[in-house]
Amino acid sequence: MRAIETEILVIGGGVTGVGVAWDAALRGFDVILVERRDLAHGTSGRFHGLLHSGGRYVVKDPVSARECIHENRILRRTHAHCIEDTGGFFVVTPEDEDSDYPDRFVQACAETGVPCQEMAVSQALRREPRLNPRISRVFRVPDASVDGFQLTHATAQAARQAGARIFTYHQVTDLLVAGGEGDVRVVGARVFDAVRAEEMEIRAAMVINAAGAWAGRIAGMVGSRVDIVPGKGVMIATAHRLVNTVINRCKWPSDGDILVPAHTVSIIGTTDVPVADPEDLRIEEWEIRKMLAEGEKLIPGFARTRILRAWAGVRPLYRESAVTDDRDISRKFTLLDHQERDGVAGFITITGGKLTTFRLMAEKTVDRAAAHLGPRRPCITAETPVPGAEHGPYWLGHRLREVEDGRLQNQLICECELVTRGMLESAARLNPTVTLDDLRRDVRLGMGPCQGGFCTYRAVGVIHELKLGHGVTPDTEGSDWRVADLQSPAGNPGRGRPPVSGPEPVSSLADHLYDPNLLLRDFLQERWKGVVPIVWGQQLKQEQLDRLIYLSIMNVDHLPDAGLKSPLSDFYGVDVTPNDVLEEPHD
Amino acid sequence: MTDLLIIGAGLSGLLAGVWARRQGLRTRIAATGLGATHWHAGTIDALGYLPGEDAPVRSPFAALTRLTAARPGHPYALTGEAGLREALAAFRTLLEKLGLPYGGAANPDENLLLPSPAGAPRPVYLAPAAQLAGDMSRPEPYLVVGFQALRDFYPTVIAENLTKLGFRARAEFLPIELITDRRDFSTIDLARAMDSADLSRLANALKRVAAPGERIGLPAILGLRRHGQILAALSEAVGAPIFEIPTLPPSVPGLRLTTVLREHFERDLHGRLDLGMTVTDFHAEAGRVTWVASRASARPVRHRARRFLLATGGILGGGFHSEPRGRVWETIFDLPLTAPQKRSQWFRPDFLAPEGHPVFRGGVRVGPDFRPLTLAGEPAFENLWAAGNLLADSDPISERSLEGVAIATARAAVTSLINTDV
Ligand SMILES: Cc1cc2nc3c(=O)[nH]c(=O)nc-3n(C[C@H](O)[C@H](O)[C@H](O)COP(=O)(O)OP(=O)(O)OC[C@H]3O[C@@H](n4cnc5c(N)ncnc54)[C@H](O)[C@@H]3O)c2cc1C
Ligand SMILES: Cc1cc2nc3c(=O)[nH]c(=O)nc-3n(C[C@H](O)[C@H](O)[C@H](O)COP(=O)(O)OP(=O)(O)OC[C@H]3O[C@@H](n4cnc5c(N)ncnc54)[C@H](O)[C@@H]3O)c2cc1C
Repeated sequence: MRAIETEILVIGGGVTGVGVAWDAALRGFDVILVERRDLAHGTSGRFHGLLHSGGRYVVKDPVSARECIHENRILRRTHAHCIEDTGGFFVVTPEDEDSDYPDRFVQACAETGVPCQEMAVSQALRREPRLNPRISRVFRVPDASVDGFQLTHATAQAARQAGARIFTYHQVTDLLVAGGEGDVRVVGARVFDAVRAEEMEIRAAMVINAAGAWAGRIAGMVGSRVDIVPGKGVMIATAHRLVNTVINRCKWPSDGDILVPAHTVSIIGTTDVPVADPEDLRIEEWEIRKMLAEGEKLIPGFARTRILRAWAGVRPLYRESAVTDDRDISRKFTLLDHQERDGVAGFITITGGKLTTFRLMAEKTVDRAAAHLGPRRPCITAETPVPGAEHGPYWLGHRLREVEDGRLQNQLICECELVTRGMLESAARLNPTVTLDDLRRDVRLGMGPCQGGFCTYRAVGVIHELKLGHGVTPDTEGSDWRVADLQSPAGNPGRGRPPVSGPEPVSSLADHLYDPNLLLRDFLQERWKGVVPIVWGQQLKQEQLDRLIYLSIMNVDHLPDAGLKSPLSDFYGVDVTPNDVLEEPHD
Repeated sequence: MTDLLIIGAGLSGLLAGVWARRQGLRTRIAATGLGATHWHAGTIDALGYLPGEDAPVRSPFAALTRLTAARPGHPYALTGEAGLREALAAFRTLLEKLGLPYGGAANPDENLLLPSPAGAPRPVYLAPAAQLAGDMSRPEPYLVVGFQALRDFYPTVIAENLTKLGFRARAEFLPIELITDRRDFSTIDLARAMDSADLSRLANALKRVAAPGERIGLPAILGLRRHGQILAALSEAVGAPIFEIPTLPPSVPGLRLTTVLREHFERDLHGRLDLGMTVTDFHAEAGRVTWVASRASARPVRHRARRFLLATGGILGGGFHSEPRGRVWETIFDLPLTAPQKRSQWFRPDFLAPEGHPVFRGGVRVGPDFRPLTLAGEPAFENLWAAGNLLADSDPISERSLEGVAIATARAAVTSLINTDV
């Protein structure tokens, strides 16, 4: 079995894990991060897209509110290009008029240091003409819209530049332990490389469990009990950007009370339903209806607007004792040093929290690790911009300008999202690509109104030509683009480290990577999965057009290699047909 | 007074217009747009796969009994085998005359297999002459030639899949400057540019990359107006069989087809075609439709006629609408549909489900005379007929029967409405 060594092994390639890897590498630790799928495939790619000002938590959870505003200010500098400075409104709709919440809200903002200014309703309506004209009060806070995919990737890239090694499609199957009774020590992990279909061992002085909602499972591998209550939340994206400001209802936090503008769409969310399994991301009919009905209160006509897509994420909420309503479980993060907690040395769990506070969580976690491993350099993430931040804050016309400037190789592959051939090629070169879904998280491929109708075939063609050496953009890294290298640790060395060698892989997906037919089938199914819960009207017509293209013109259901599967084919294949659960269950 | 008002200008609407006009009916077509034809491949798919079966259908006519056994209400059960054969033959004769000849397999009972833009075999009954040399029963090895600047066609994918399927195939790229100096273009722009391009440069370049004995597949962009001459001249200059492979939409072969039909209807037959005219309402008296109304700028405009033919093409054509609760309805006459009215029954888990999705199979049920029926099974109106892909019990995309159903039902509906006194 292949075995490699490092000082710190981070489990989980969500925003928390990449944050830890970035911080630890900057401090001079030798770091490996393993993620069982693609970066941001977990909750970090299924969230609401809000960079919290803290406003949502001022009344209910002042500690979180303070953390949010603190981090909000830092991330605007370090991750400028991932953030659009939309600002946020808290609005009082007719339903909420009789409550004393607005006054408590103002008071609590002052106490927690979240900047908050009441403004005239007429002025707010001028800025957001679609907003319900019957709102009675409006408060302005520094909320913003944040692209979690970009944030995760940029942080990972920064971690790589600082020397961290990041292996995607590597799943931890067990933790390696040494010692016995009373003196247990985690010394690494057994990892399954899903692309080469082989097992390997990664030995480490410290293992950091950043597996989000799956953290309980990882801890369970050494018998440590960490109770995570996965709280599922549903979000839907509208085909248009209905607002340019984040809109919150000014009331006790609940379902469907935030609308976030994100690129060309707006996202309403969420629900909060405890689920047994973090993989249980099924969306019920009632959740969709509820989102439409709540959206209507903010934006009249919302329920009739064209909907693009629906998805669900699970909150990794840590339960300290039995609590019934899981919105009352702490949103603060949880840092568990298992040596102190259960006598298991070399093992730390970091979970919970918010995307907004990931940097702070990482800082505290690496502080803890350093306390065991011996201190290195101090934490500098708050002062260190990640690659890309030099472009300055995101704004909506950004991509259009780049494309028009012709600065990128400018053939448009995805017209809805302005993804060019050059962008696709460099994303494929930079980050390992097992499915087109991986590229979607990098460059927003297929996220527009046609949901992959046109760009799926094009992206497959572009990747295939790239694989055969017909790329049209120069390879800036100056190296040959070799398929097999991308996935393996050998092909992904940290800067300045000699490549690690190991035995040749057995027959595996590596031989079929970038098989065009597999890419096609996987992505068509992935896009389908997320539209089924919301497809009707105009979008149903769009799906029929997509069927015309892929069945009738392309005949992709009769291509060779029908049996071939990627590590995600079964995940995409889950039955997502709508159900008849129309009412919200009450218990 | 208009004898026949056709609503919809897809393949069924246009052909019905042509055939009715040739029978002397004062015919008018009103439609929002030109339907799905210019999105499709330009081929005539009659029946490519039986529901849930993996092997392509060899002969659409021989397969009809099995199709209609599985789907008794299928439009082909109404036209019958003879009706289907006769309509396809009439279509072929018509297109021959219009200078856009279509051909088929050597055995006129059978389908052709042609390479798709992904390199899969497409079972089609008739194809434009320009696609015929792609016939997979021919022996020549394939050379698939593309242009990297064209984002709607990927020769390496086609060649790799053809090779995996057991054919000899390879891919080459040529510079787009052989056709145009523009940087941003669609397949339609390229076809227009071909109409005036210097063919000798392209022919020389093709000669350089082709090996003796190969047939050359190009993206379907070989001209619009001068398509026939271009194909002949290029094949001759290169000295090899040249054929077109469809691209991502918009489809040049589809556009050629709608263009010749439309021009024939309007210019040769003096029919009236109003595009951008969306019919939204109707009025009936004593079981007869007296007028339909279209949305114009200010107020609705009424259109009277003796007979009406509904050819609005279902969900894809815009003839049906649907809402979150699962209701699907026909937008003008609110005719009863066979579509499942609960969203939980609309879909199957797999996008590529071989049986198709139930919602796309739901449609308007018609009697043997192609008049839409009420739930009680009576004609809904004395003077209303329906044809094309809005008809119940067919999923033309899964079946690969899009054009076959349109042609056969348009022909049958016109025959019926001419023979009915109103
Ligand atoms: C519905 C919803 C809306 C939200 N909205 C917001 C918001 O608007 N703003 C905000 O700031 N926060 C929001 N959050 C919170 C935020 O999204 C999460 O706190 C954050 O994304 C958690 O990141 P993470 O890295 O801890 O977890 P994840 O992103 O889930 O990462 C954990 C990773 O571990 C991997 N993993 C699991 N098991 C293994 C294994 N055995 N081996 C290797 N890898 C493994 C998983 O694949 C996953 O990628 C929201 C959360 C939810 C659920
Ligand atoms: C900030 C932000 C902005 C976004 N903007 C856009 C946008 O502009 N356009 C766009 O198209 N998308 C947008 N998305 C959504 C994105 O395209 C994906 O939907 C999201 O990343 C989740 O990935 P997925 O669809 O593959 O998820 P999946 O988890 O594969 O979910 C797809 C569907 O499958 C269901 N499902 C998943 N697992 C199960 C299971 N075990 N059992 C039953 N059902 C299941 C889910 O409920 C969902 O309906 C955005 C996402 C974020 C976080």
